[in-house]
Amino acid sequence: MKGTIGQSKVSRRNFLVGAGTLLAAPYVLKGKALAAGQVVVRTPGGAYDDIMRKFVYDPFTAETGIQVVPVAATVSKLLAMFKANNVEIDLIDTGEGPLITLSRMGALAPIEYDKWTWSRPEDVAPEYRRPDTVANFVYSSVLAFNTETFPGDNHPKNWVDFWDAEKFPGPRMLTDMAAGSPSLEFALLAAGVKKEDLYPIDIDRAFKMLTELRPHIRKFWDSGAVSAQLLSDKEVVMGCIWNGRLQTIIEKGAPLNYVWDGNMIQVQALGIFKDSPNRAAAQRLVDFMTQPDVQAKYVAALRYGPTNLKAFDHISADLLEMMPGGPKSRELGFVQNTEWWEDNRDKVNRVWSRWILG
Amino acid sequence: MPLGPLAKWLLLAPAVALLLVLFLTPVGWFISASLMELGSWQDIWDEVAAVMGTGVIVRSIINTNGISLAVTLLTLVIGYPVAYAMTRARGLTFTLILVCVVLPYFTSTIVRTYAWMVILGRNGIINQLLLGMGLVDEPLQLMYNRLGVLIGMTYVLLPYMVLTLFATMKSVDGRLLQAAAGMGARPMTIFTRVFFPLTFHGVMAGSLIVYILAMGFFITPALMGGPDDLMMAMLIEREVELSHNWPVAAIMTIILLVITLSLYAVYTRFSDSSEERLA
Repeated sequence: MKGTIGQSKVSRRNFLVGAGTLLAAPYVLKGKALAAGQVVVRTPGGAYDDIMRKFVYDPFTAETGIQVVPVAATVSKLLAMFKANNVEIDLIDTGEGPLITLSRMGALAPIEYDKWTWSRPEDVAPEYRRPDTVANFVYSSVLAFNTETFPGDNHPKNWVDFWDAEKFPGPRMLTDMAAGSPSLEFALLAAGVKKEDLYPIDIDRAFKMLTELRPHIRKFWDSGAVSAQLLSDKEVVMGCIWNGRLQTIIEKGAPLNYVWDGNMIQVQALGIFKDSPNRAAAQRLVDFMTQPDVQAKYVAALRYGPTNLKAFDHISADLLEMMPGGPKSRELGFVQNTEWWEDNRDKVNRVWSRWILG
Repeated sequence: MPLGPLAKWLLLAPAVALLLVLFLTPVGWFISASLMELGSWQDIWDEVAAVMGTGVIVRSIINTNGISLAVTLLTLVIGYPVAYAMTRARGLTFTLILVCVVLPYFTSTIVRTYAWMVILGRNGIINQLLLGMGLVDEPLQLMYNRLGVLIGMTYVLLPYMVLTLFATMKSVDGRLLQAAAGMGARPMTIFTRVFFPLTFHGVMAGSLIVYILAMGFFITPALMGGPDDLMMAMLIEREVELSHNWPVAAIMTIILLVITLSLYAVYTRFSDSSEERLA
């Protein structure tokens, strides 16, 4: 066969053999991975995967021999998989809301808390634990502002100030329905509702508040990337934004700051498909991911907050200051009520569409 | 060489199979499975009435068509001269124009849209330039409104128009133009009476391709538009991804599909009649 490739005279037979091998490769490789055990995880993707690989997936493989395969999938794809009875994913790592949707459809297996060996279930804050989901980190929507526009102490300090366009003029941003939920909670806080009394949300009242502020809102953002772009381009001078995104652009030198007052803590969680092919391995990964020192590492890298309260012991004091779900954030903020949103998202979506076009 | 009916079908078979497997089956599955969730025909009809009743879908149909029409006209006005220049250009110039038209296709729509943000933003290149030259006192609002949607979409869809028009213009017999000139027609007359009519079916074809593609847009309007630039695809996406209300999404999909297919029917009529004319 000398020189065959070099002269690119691949014979038909050789080509077929080669192509056949290539086509079969995934199955052969998959077979091998199955022998050692694997977990397919739905993740948000991007930089998240790199951080999780470093602090969770690789250490997990080292300890158990089980491979972790992150894949991207939208919520609707997960629903479609379940409805079409063709589940290819074991573990789902996504917002608590979509997981509750799946849970209500009967798609999720119970979390086997009693079999945990690395983590202790009682260390996870009770509001982050459900029978078939467990939160793996929290993040926060905070009020951010431009420090060049509002230097020194003369900046909006809460949502009442945010709604006051005379005292604090300039274009603003809030969330779009497409981001998951529009900023109804902040609207109510601006109206003077106490954070304990936010739920059930008075939808009409919240939209009235939004109508009031609408002329000053340049954009309702629908993705973390857009919100970061709007603030760092100074397209808006204040707005609500996920703390992780904000922290990233502040560290890159954007003249921005934020207040914890009225921050909304949101929950990311894990769930396991009932029909998952690797359920046992997925249960073990959930257990592994929840242990305090592992959580402390990945939440610190992600600029998010832990759900295992023991993880705070492994986090430095100055990092704790800027940690969503940390002491300061919990004292001044509130946890978004995911159950309420699951019950009412369809309704709010309809009201939102009418309002936005009205 | 004319082909027999069997040969025609055999040649079509791979494309038909592909469409069937990758497009029609999933769409059919989605629509039927979603509508079946509702139950009876009466329930489905009630839901359709409810969807149409809120006025949101009607407003968004108007929005979608308004934006699509404006984008079509803009691509036509910008694309026609470009396509004409391409038919006249030779060698390096031709390659250069072609590369400029096609090159954007090698980057994703999202990347290109973010590039526009850098150019059109409040502190973007254009505003910096205008402010620097003292032409405006404060930054112009070039995006996060309808203007932004039109700029972004026109840019993305322009190549479809240019390439379609180019194909048509290339097939125009140059001798007809010479004949017109030889009989004393002025350039403007040659254009309006000879060249434009000969390229008209290309104009129609290009416009319909752009229009139909524009109908389904959602990334660009979501990123570059204002709050009320709500297009149908965005509405459908929210029903699927957020509300998980697949029956309503299915109904909206059917509405969008019906509008698009009606336009496609118009499109085939025009391309058919042009063939007859040539024959």
